[in-house]
Amino acid sequence: MVIQALFFGATAQIIGTRKNEIVLSHKITASQLVERIIEDHPQLARHKLLFAINEEYAAGDTQIKDGDELAIFTAVSGG
Amino acid sequence: MDFAELTTTPIDITSVARRVIPPECGATVTLDGYARKFTKQKNGATRETEYLVYEAYEAMAIKEMEKLIAAAKEQFAISHVCIVHRTGRLEIGETSVVISVAAPHRRAAFEACEWLIKELKRTVPIWKKEVYSGGEQWIEGDSAEIKTE
Repeated sequence: MVIQALFFGATAQIIGTRKNEIVLSHKITASQLVERIIEDHPQLARHKLLFAINEEYAAGDTQIKDGDELAIFTAVSGG
Repeated sequence: MDFAELTTTPIDITSVARRVIPPECGATVTLDGYARKFTKQKNGATRETEYLVYEAYEAMAIKEMEKLIAAAKEQFAISHVCIVHRTGRLEIGETSVVISVAAPHRRAAFEACEWLIKELKRTVPIWKKEVYSGGEQWIEGDSAEIKTE
């Protein structure tokens, strides 16, 4: 399955891109996928991260499905 | 009547606040949040910002703002809410966010407006970068966790 990973602000700066296509061969939960991305980009571990699936905050045990959009970002700072 | 919007152009606060004046209402409370030059830090030093850059996860930010509006209307005796947030580069003093709450009576509007800005800063996916003469920094909020359904 193929998913789109989106990054914003600080996470986009760290990863060096705003959008990444990720190909997955096994079933995986949202938090496992986030962990995997952190392993590839260890500087992310220093930040308080939030994630969303298909434009909604989601629980860590949510199963990732083909075509999902996973956004990873630091704690928000609008206003 | 309610609306949540993002814009890259300067926000006209009055036109947001006066866009909807429901006949059953007697007061509109409007928050004008704008870009601050001097920020006092935890160590007591003052940081001087040259300008700000806001970035949003646009589709989700609109959805989250709409959820906040719905939740505020359930909790408070208010009639309508509009939220407009600016993105892109903002000069010092320019408006970054407007929250306007109309209600039959003012107290509920004040309370709802305070609740809305607090929640917006916690849940709506928008980020602020402060640019200084010697560098820049993405600001990170305090929200460690967002409750999911």
